[in-house]
Amino acid sequence: MFLIFALITLAGAVALVFQRNLVVAGLCLVLCFMGVAGLFLLLLNPVAAALQIIVYSGAIVVLLLFVIMLLNEHQEEPAVRARPLQRWISVALLLALGAGVVRLVAASPLLRQLNAGLATQAPGAITLATLGNALMGDHLVAFEVAGLLLLAAMVGAVALVKRDL
Amino acid sequence: MTTLNAILTGGLQGYILVALLLFLIGLGAVLGRRSILLQFMGVELMLNAANVALLAFARFRGSDVQGLAFYLFIIAVAACEASVGLGLVVGLYRHRLSTDTDRADALKQ
Repeated sequence: MFLIFALITLAGAVALVFQRNLVVAGLCLVLCFMGVAGLFLLLLNPVAAALQIIVYSGAIVVLLLFVIMLLNEHQEEPAVRARPLQRWISVALLLALGAGVVRLVAASPLLRQLNAGLATQAPGAITLATLGNALMGDHLVAFEVAGLLLLAAMVGAVALVKRDL
Repeated sequence: MTTLNAILTGGLQGYILVALLLFLIGLGAVLGRRSILLQFMGVELMLNAANVALLAFARFRGSDVQGLAFYLFIIAVAACEASVGLGLVVGLYRHRLSTDTDRADALKQ
């Protein structure tokens, strides 16, 4: 089950990188976010999975597709000048980073130790009630500041897009 | 081979590997594509990779609810970033009639 969701996530992300059409790339992003939501379900975290689908696949991708269609830029424009050297250097660096990451994760003793510690814990999904207690208890100030930040972003976005205020 | 087994069956190593690969693919989208909208999607992928790693560590440290609380704050910031970022893209398109970042290489036209 983990493997299925992991492959959906990575396949969506890879399809996004190699996609010519921007609208289809946005739909690949939805696929990727759905895979991530599945991973959150497997982590016994249904609240995070629901939030992932509502906020990412819902709000953010819809906003993104709305902007793509508004700007009428469905294809990437042809390059001003070809930069083959930079392209190959970035591909080589990314491949080297990927190989290093796989080696690091496979060899890490700390991850192995944490993974082995799971067997001793009682299984239990995180519910909305525990999240609410944590938010209203430990993180009350941060919660209010997040609300203020959302308001500021909303006003800022309107001010940026409006032609003349 | 216990590590390979943990990666294939959904141990912590598997989740961290997925998160890191997702981050690298997002980085590839930001570096390799020219359209600013595709680069924006790459940034969202990288943000999601961080979320996967955060919630995986929270789960393997005894279903810690603090991880979920921080995930909530991260998506609040991500929503702000998306709205302001897309506002900036619309502004850029108005100025230059293009979403190609190679064509937007001067601060003033």
